[in-house]
Amino acid sequence: MVAYHNLYLALSVVLFTIGAIGAITRRNAIVVFMCIEIMLGAVNLAFITFGRANQSVDGIFMVMFVMAVAAAEAAVGLAIFILMYRKRGTINVESFNLMKW
Amino acid sequence: MELIILLICGGLTIITSLLVIFARNTVHSALWMVASFFFMAVLYLLLQAEFIAILQIIVYAGAIMMFIIYAIMMLNLRQEERAPMRKTKVVGVVALLVLFLELLVVAVGRGLLAIKGPVTDQLMAKFGHIAVLSNFLFSDYVLPFELASILLTAGVVGAVILAKQKSE
Repeated sequence: MVAYHNLYLALSVVLFTIGAIGAITRRNAIVVFMCIEIMLGAVNLAFITFGRANQSVDGIFMVMFVMAVAAAEAAVGLAIFILMYRKRGTINVESFNLMKW
Repeated sequence: MELIILLICGGLTIITSLLVIFARNTVHSALWMVASFFFMAVLYLLLQAEFIAILQIIVYAGAIMMFIIYAIMMLNLRQEERAPMRKTKVVGVVALLVLFLELLVVAVGRGLLAIKGPVTDQLMAKFGHIAVLSNFLFSDYVLPFELASILLTAGVVGAVILAKQKSE
């Protein structure tokens, strides 16, 4: 049986690049957040592929913990966006300069 | 057969991900994101990670995207206006494309060389995917598992405190 692990890894690289390009070019903070989720998904795909290629469950557990961190990140991140929207009336990432000096 | 499904679902994942970053309307982005997560779940099924495929649909396509869509509905967003990209962003995109080529060469050009572990497909088929996973989860991975629960609790409390309206 032929395994197509290289194809899965190539797909993961393509998705990661799409997510990264979106994260640096879009201005809407929620879209940037979704691009980060695409990048996390690409990394998850690579983890699962490596885990399967090496006959190990470690890849699957890494993905489970990535999902837990992504869920916590979603909760806190969206709360921060709502807070910023209340303060500024926009969630354009280029207008966030609170921590800039 | 695996190749056909892989090519179809992989292509659809790439197309839907591109639509996420190119859609002008944020709600459309979010809905394309849900589609992308579903196609990725099919890829996990192809890699024989059934549990992760289910988690992908429940946690990502269900919980996280619901969060995002609620946030979009609470924020009155206008459509993003088209503006010329700054020079720094163009440099960033070029750097990312170089990184893409490098990753592609390393990921695809070289084989996966490592010592094979004990968890073969036969073992998974004999005991069942979840049974094998839970054996590892509650022995080797019990500390990260508990830490993840603490992290999620802290995340929920933090989100409530951040988003709570001050009553003055």
